Amino acid sequence: MKPDLDRLVPACVREFEPYIPSKPDRELQKLYGCRRLIRLNNNENPLGPPPGAQEVIRRFPPPRGAVYPSGDSYDLRRELAAFHGIDPDQVIVGNGANEVITFVIKAFCEPGDNIVTADRTFAVYEWVAVFSGIEARVVPLKEGRFDDGAMLERIDGATKVIFLCNPNNPTGTYWSRDTLTAFLDAVGGRQIVVVDEAYFEFVEAEDYPDGISLTRDYPNLVVFRTFSKMYGIAGLRIGYLAGDLKVVDMIRRTCVVYSVNTIAQEAALACLRDDTGHVGRTRDMVRQSRDYLKEEMGGMGLPVTSGEGNFLIVKLPGSDTLAYRKLMHEGVMIRPMTGFRYPNHIRVTLAGLEAMEAFAAALKKILA
Amino acid sequence: MNPPNRHSNDTLGLQLPARPPFLDVATGFVESSVRALGMGREEALKLRLAAEEIFSYLTSHVRPAEPVDIRAVNGLYYGRVEFRFSVAALNMGALNITATGQFESDEALAEMGLVIASRTVDRLRITEESRGRICLAVEKEKTYPPSPDRTPPRAPFRDGLTIQRTPDAETLKQYAGEVARGRADSPGPAFFDYPGKVVDMVAAGDNEVIAAVDGAGRVAGGILFRFLTERIVEIVGPHVFDPSREQEIAEALLDAAIAAVARTRAIGLVSLTGLPEPVRSQFEPLGSLAFFRDEGPALARPAWYRFLHEDPGCPVWTNGALKEFLEREYGRLFLARDIREVQDLGETLKGSSIFSAEIRREWSEVVLRPLWPGDDLAANVERHIRFLREEGFLNLLFEIDLGVSWQAPLVPVLLGRRFSPGMIIPFAGQADLVVFQYHETRP
Repeated sequence: MKPDLDRLVPACVREFEPYIPSKPDRELQKLYGCRRLIRLNNNENPLGPPPGAQEVIRRFPPPRGAVYPSGDSYDLRRELAAFHGIDPDQVIVGNGANEVITFVIKAFCEPGDNIVTADRTFAVYEWVAVFSGIEARVVPLKEGRFDDGAMLERIDGATKVIFLCNPNNPTGTYWSRDTLTAFLDAVGGRQIVVVDEAYFEFVEAEDYPDGISLTRDYPNLVVFRTFSKMYGIAGLRIGYLAGDLKVVDMIRRTCVVYSVNTIAQEAALACLRDDTGHVGRTRDMVRQSRDYLKEEMGGMGLPVTSGEGNFLIVKLPGSDTLAYRKLMHEGVMIRPMTGFRYPNHIRVTLAGLEAMEAFAAALKKILA
Repeated sequence: MNPPNRHSNDTLGLQLPARPPFLDVATGFVESSVRALGMGREEALKLRLAAEEIFSYLTSHVRPAEPVDIRAVNGLYYGRVEFRFSVAALNMGALNITATGQFESDEALAEMGLVIASRTVDRLRITEESRGRICLAVEKEKTYPPSPDRTPPRAPFRDGLTIQRTPDAETLKQYAGEVARGRADSPGPAFFDYPGKVVDMVAAGDNEVIAAVDGAGRVAGGILFRFLTERIVEIVGPHVFDPSREQEIAEALLDAAIAAVARTRAIGLVSLTGLPEPVRSQFEPLGSLAFFRDEGPALARPAWYRFLHEDPGCPVWTNGALKEFLEREYGRLFLARDIREVQDLGETLKGSSIFSAEIRREWSEVVLRPLWPGDDLAANVERHIRFLREEGFLNLLFEIDLGVSWQAPLVPVLLGRRFSPGMIIPFAGQADLVVFQYHETRP
């Protein structure tokens, strides 16, 4: 007898459409008939991990695959704590930053509560809330930025968590230290404020705040960081959150321990210890590619939104999802932005110059 | 996006055996239930008549003495009566709208079977909910007064523009009235002629409207959208009433509609009722169907589409006779598809095929969809054409789901009987749908 899924599955799950990740490269190449595939859709770092992390991956002894990892990333938390000048118990490591989003929503929200975030930002805050039966209040960006005033207006007694993405994916805009602290002062500790700093290491602006340093003064502040972007170990899935000791103690109750594998933990340690200039090399590459693409897109008359982070967005004269398919036939994979509520825009990862040239040439061809 | 009809909990149910002595119980239940759920006397009587035909038919031809679940559903702007029952493969053929149980007796066909039940209602639809479990539903819409004022207002539009995601009832009525005022003789939806109905359609939750309002509070445009299938959202509009700001308002309305559905289960937007010029560059032309009318030449019905996400690609099953069309269209639309040809290698097919029929009287149209395979595909298609044409329907469409391999053998059957492929609608079924259209003369 078949299970009665209408009765067994909560409506918030039943009505949620699962995200379908892209197929493996070989399948995509077969489907689109392209010989090569340049991935510019996920903001990955084409330089890969720093040399030390590469060495960890190369030298991982296969027999250790049989042994459970440290269940709470013991060594890594200690090193992160030393790095940020906080207590190791103020840190929770997760299977990518996506997992720590889930931890936070589980820890603070129940049906009837709501979260507040922006309409055009990283989608996972909204997704996790919706399939958990939590209302997601999405506030329109104002001139491409999180609108602090409008977000404060949407907060009510049922608001538990406010999610900010700083710098914002996909606009690259950011709140300065002054804007962030003014917002935290206005919230006044009544809600948890999450600042997702996935692209922290790419930002060179002087007024850009280090969220973790603010957790001393704002115990309702929780900061997310990831090793997927700058440190190039997206394939290992590892990220973390940091916050006040008591707040993190609550979040820890919803954590699934042992979710972060040993290679990821050790590679992340090596990333933190990197002294070869990995961050500088990556920033140089991103800067060069950004300048190149801005000029190329400008030459084609296409408006560009470019801020912080290793990506920019380009406005097209027509459908972004059609451009995606045409570019796939040319062997270039970008991110159409309709799902981010930016119809007719594409987001392009700032990778090496050769990839940028291939993208620009393909775009010229499909728009000709 | 709103969940499907939020009034669908207003449902009354009855289970009884499909036996003639219970006919009055069934029809009495239907009439009194839909009345209690808010339908007028006339509409309730028409649903009762349809229920009488269906129940009689079930007792005599489909599942004599077997249990039938009857549900009366309040759709707010329509009432629906659903009959659910299980069938065995042996009597599946009797569920075709043209079937009577006595296929050899053509004379009796027009006055028997499910065709007669469809005559008193707006829509009849047969679907298979699980293997062998059938839902036969009839719907009758409520009667609403037409828009009272057809004189164009003379006051000019003011500066300023606000996009209203959930307009109030008066704004919705203004919007519908303005659309009705500008509606040409087209196969577009007639519901705009009845603003009260539009208000109820939105309140029911299965349609949504976004309005654009000028600085003086006057409706300067609007867009209506709804889930057409599990993953496809149909947009109607955007309609712009201030011609001096057509581009700005059309783009703002479309952006707002996209924002509303961008993170839902929808994978694409389709426009079947006309798309204004300023937003066409954001869509892809799927093709065009003809809309045949009692008088005058057929009108063109162009359809437009845009994906909301990356095309995930998929395999599609077809007969060799359609391969060229598919290759051409997939190439034109840049869709990644693995076309797999289904070949008849002599395998045995048993039993009677069944097609579901969705009757849209307002457009003199029937949409046929294969529900069950069988060894009588050609005869069944011919029977449907004959009886539906005799019934006066001018527009016959047949949808083939390229995600369902057993439907592929229908392709040569349709092509050989004056059906031609009109368009592909991506992911409107398990995979893409091909819509075939019947032409009285060779297309």
